[in-house]
Amino acid sequence: MNPAAEFLRQSTAKSADLEHRRIIRWNMDNYDAAVLRGKSRFLDWDAARERCAAIKQDAIDHLDQYLVEFESRIVERGGKIFWAENAEEARQYIAKLATDRGVKRVVKSKSMVTEEIHLTPALEKLGCEVVETDLGEYIVQLRNEPPYHIVTPAMHLTRGQIADLFREKLEGVTSDDPVELVAAARRKLRLAFFAAEMGISGANFLVADAGMVAISTNEGNGRLCTTLPKIHVVVTGIEKVVPHLRDLGTLWPVLATAGTGQPVTTYSTLIGGARREGEVDGPEEFHVVLLDNGRSELLADVEQRDALRCIRCGACLNACPVYRQIGGHTYATTYQGPIGSVLTPHFRGHEFDHLSYASSLCGSCTSVCPVKIDLHHHLLENRHASVKADKRPWSERFAFRFWRWMMSSHSRFERLGRLGRFKIRVARKLGIDLLSPWTKYRSAPELPKQSFREMWRKGNV
Amino acid sequence: MSSASRERILARIGSALKTPSAPLSFEPKAIFPPIGNLAERFQAECKGNYTECVFVDVHESTAKLKQVLASVGSGSVFAEDAPRIRELLRDFNGPLQWSSEGRPLESSVATISRVEALIAATGSLLVTSSCGGRGASIVAPVHIVIANANQLVPDIESALDLANERKLSEKNSYVGVITGCSRTADIEKLLVIGAHGPKRLAVIVENS
Repeated sequence: MNPAAEFLRQSTAKSADLEHRRIIRWNMDNYDAAVLRGKSRFLDWDAARERCAAIKQDAIDHLDQYLVEFESRIVERGGKIFWAENAEEARQYIAKLATDRGVKRVVKSKSMVTEEIHLTPALEKLGCEVVETDLGEYIVQLRNEPPYHIVTPAMHLTRGQIADLFREKLEGVTSDDPVELVAAARRKLRLAFFAAEMGISGANFLVADAGMVAISTNEGNGRLCTTLPKIHVVVTGIEKVVPHLRDLGTLWPVLATAGTGQPVTTYSTLIGGARREGEVDGPEEFHVVLLDNGRSELLADVEQRDALRCIRCGACLNACPVYRQIGGHTYATTYQGPIGSVLTPHFRGHEFDHLSYASSLCGSCTSVCPVKIDLHHHLLENRHASVKADKRPWSERFAFRFWRWMMSSHSRFERLGRLGRFKIRVARKLGIDLLSPWTKYRSAPELPKQSFREMWRKGNV
Repeated sequence: MSSASRERILARIGSALKTPSAPLSFEPKAIFPPIGNLAERFQAECKGNYTECVFVDVHESTAKLKQVLASVGSGSVFAEDAPRIRELLRDFNGPLQWSSEGRPLESSVATISRVEALIAATGSLLVTSSCGGRGASIVAPVHIVIANANQLVPDIESALDLANERKLSEKNSYVGVITGCSRTADIEKLLVIGAHGPKRLAVIVENS
């Protein structure tokens, strides 16, 4: 089945799944309340958004310069930088590194880019055991599912479902109490941290002037992944670079507030390389994989390049009335929600154009975006691109051409309107609903006996 | 360092940027409310993020540390090998491992370390590899911090300015801002304290 048809099928099923909607509403209500509290800590939230947008825009406008600055600082201290044009190159580099060093066990902290390049299956094929260590990621890994949400991967599950899963896969779980569930995962994952030879993390920011990788983690799994194994590999997109260390003074609190409502993420971590001479601990090797995979093409699109400002906070997903009904898995993409609908056609082609149509263009996403990406405008732009590339079905093109023809003449509009209403009424009497594609999901209003024009002419208005 | 992919990516970026972006209007405005008394704010924030924080006079810190250590249960304690911490632990007679002897054991019941700065606005700690190593703030269920009131700075931005001034990112492979205990809300957005890192963070601030 093609992605568009599958999307339609899944979203029909999900939006009618009341239990799913209950769980998402519960999560979103908690998120909304936390963000409201979080924003109240700012004197001027919009000023913070403007500042973050300006920082990230500066970064993107000088992307080559800042990337090279970042690279030279890392390399100076003995770290390795690998530039990957696509997913295949990135996977190969990491797979070769794992093979060369005899890596058998890998721990991962949360990274959407590793999802984007399908890294875990590639390492598993080599015989490595790969363990996700973010609790939400670990839960979806045990269920053999992709993350449901870029910040809260297991948002679609109740504690009861998680408890059932843990009882099957882990030891010592007797209740549904989240404290007990977290403790069970902690015990299990601790063994993994201390046994692993390679830790793989993502990056929230690459700081050019300091030559450091910024990783935000609440659980501390990102800290353990980057402290204990003897090899640390960072996998990240080239757009994550920011110019200055002090920029994080705004970016860190804004990311945390938009992401979860926290004032700042518990562990806002900067890593510049492997363990130095004289340091107590840390890995022996440090690698950063800088992934392009379509990002430089998006940069060339001057209209849409601001999408590269994205800091992956998830706020647009949470605000989106479509995401709230159909959930994350329905998108069948690495990045879900409005930002996913904007980015995916760029990364994976016109097969994902339908996502830009799954929107009422209400603009909620744009209004919450902490780096002020013009998201809903880009959804419209994507539709434009889809039409221009001749990717719309003939029926849709025909319908719009007919509509334009009809609307461009007063008398045509009136006559065809009357004909249309007549046909609908007659068909209804015969038990046929000509509006069924619409009324399948919605209730239609009664058809008026007279049009507005007729009423006007008779002086009834 | 130069590979074909690197050159191709940089060339694509270079050619993409030949078309400049629409200018972004931006005037610098105050983002956060002003911070009054640093020590008071730090304490209030700690309360909010589940950090235990006490301000003590210099002669009281040994007793305070002893009291915290008495509550952590038996097992090996890991401590940053720093003169002040050695002084405070002079009479401690439990199993003790110094940072100069290697990384903290998996079984450590508590770690003791210093910080580079205390951040008032968020009740955070600025730490580096020099504060007992990376593991000192993450491996054990209890993390005890010995700090001084003169280490207080207003906010994260000023802490990062301090990091720049002291060249902390050049001298250390790890720099971190730690705010509270390890936590997760991945199950139904319910907050659970103590995920993979410390369940308890105790900060002893000595008055200068």
